[in-house]
Amino acid sequence: MSSIAGTLAYPISSFILISAFYMQGQEFIRPMIRGQLIQSLLIAAVSFIVGFSENNIDFIILGIFIVFLRGALVTYFLEKGVPSKKVYFYEKKVDVAYLLLVDLIFIVIAVFLIYSIVFSSISIKSLIGNNGILVFPLTLFFQGLFLIASRRTTFAQIIGYVEEENALVLFALFLLPIPIIIEASVFMDVLALVVISSIVVIEKSTHERVEELIG
Amino acid sequence: MVDVQYVTLVETVLQYFFVVLFAPLFAGILASFKSKVESKKGPSIFQPYYDLFKLLRKETLLPEGSGLLFKYIPYVAFGVYSLISIIIPVLIPQPIYFTASADFLGGAILFSTAAFMKMAAAMNSNSNFSALGTSRAISFNFLSEGTLITVFFAVSLITATNNPYVTNHFLVANPLQNVSLDHIFATLAFLMLFLYETGKLPLESSGLQELGMIEEGLNYEYSGKLLAINKWGSYIKQYLLGSVLLNVFLLPWGLFSTYPLFFLDVPVMILKWLLLIFIVIAIETTLAKLRLFRILDYLATAFTFSILFLIFSEVIV
Repeated sequence: MSSIAGTLAYPISSFILISAFYMQGQEFIRPMIRGQLIQSLLIAAVSFIVGFSENNIDFIILGIFIVFLRGALVTYFLEKGVPSKKVYFYEKKVDVAYLLLVDLIFIVIAVFLIYSIVFSSISIKSLIGNNGILVFPLTLFFQGLFLIASRRTTFAQIIGYVEEENALVLFALFLLPIPIIIEASVFMDVLALVVISSIVVIEKSTHERVEELIG
Repeated sequence: MVDVQYVTLVETVLQYFFVVLFAPLFAGILASFKSKVESKKGPSIFQPYYDLFKLLRKETLLPEGSGLLFKYIPYVAFGVYSLISIIIPVLIPQPIYFTASADFLGGAILFSTAAFMKMAAAMNSNSNFSALGTSRAISFNFLSEGTLITVFFAVSLITATNNPYVTNHFLVANPLQNVSLDHIFATLAFLMLFLYETGKLPLESSGLQELGMIEEGLNYEYSGKLLAINKWGSYIKQYLLGSVLLNVFLLPWGLFSTYPLFFLDVPVMILKWLLLIFIVIAIETTLAKLRLFRILDYLATAFTFSILFLIFSEVIV
């Protein structure tokens, strides 16, 4: 059972990464939000798989929470922020090739450093697959960080934040005992995502470089 | 019992002449089928041969101010492609004569050398159009070469060797490896690269429209015999890249290396190529046209896939 879970977890995790790169290269906001939806659903799928393989209902509860909070609520609030008469709403001057290349350099260096320095000195054992599977949440985390840093639209920045959240959940799914993840995840979702995202998106849709300094 | 050396010699000769003589045929089949899909009558599948014969008979004109590179590099580039055609598994899945002269990376470097020489020759033509084609080709090639080399690096990580023949045998012996994550990513990256390198992106990069031309920009000032040699070289390059894609990544099965059976490799390769042509036509005719500067985004995506694949093949055991 566990080996089947491991076999399934790898392709799903790689699709999660592909969705992250898709969002990084996407200029249009609405497809980006949908990309976030798909990413969250895939993470819920990983949670269900771990739940069935470990025979633990807590993971399944976590999966249901992810579907409901991140899949439904966050997507709903973000989509509500898109101007209804401008469904093609997009961020100007997104240089995909440049962003992807810088992103790759950043991720490869960051993941390599963490992997070779931190992981080699502590003893960890992932629940499914081998320890190599932890490279997926790590990559996703740095990808989310780069998405926030590289974009000016509030939507993109909030989606980057969701991506980081997703990375933490995915990381925890592979490693930790369950109750703490559920608590942390639900708390972060409700407070940070739903409340903050709905306020920030309505308040201000883009941030220029200089404005960020003014506050 | 047939002598092994004799068999290897026959295999080498068969592979070389198959590649050089049949390469234009696949380009012809592709053009013909594509026209049929677009509800046009289309040219005959032998059209590339007619073109080559016509051009070989015509007079060669050299532009004023062009140099020696412009005049001689088509022959050198053709020679490089000929060399590649006998060192990688494009027909016979067993090492033949000359195979030992270069490994996978050596093949990639030979491809890059030919591309570089063609650009140098185009710059030597003293023409603005050729310079435009060169600058386009260079600004896109820096990403495609990176992808090519990364994919080859990563393939060698799977089998711990840099020999395409070993990779082919390894994939045939371990069928499950063909659906492994790292292999799928590499195949995808290489397919994207193949589409770009052979001008099959929906952009008319192989046509003579000024807005989209890349490869043809390099050939702009060539005429007569030199143009024929250049075109023939391009057909061979297309066949080589496509066959590497088929034999090392997509469909490693079905090739024979024992004495009488290896003649069957010819129809097997033709069938494999028909499948590849079907895939290429499906992609080429269903995608919306890209704008020229979008090629960089496309190649960056391919590069991303190849780097990801490199990481995956390291961490997933």
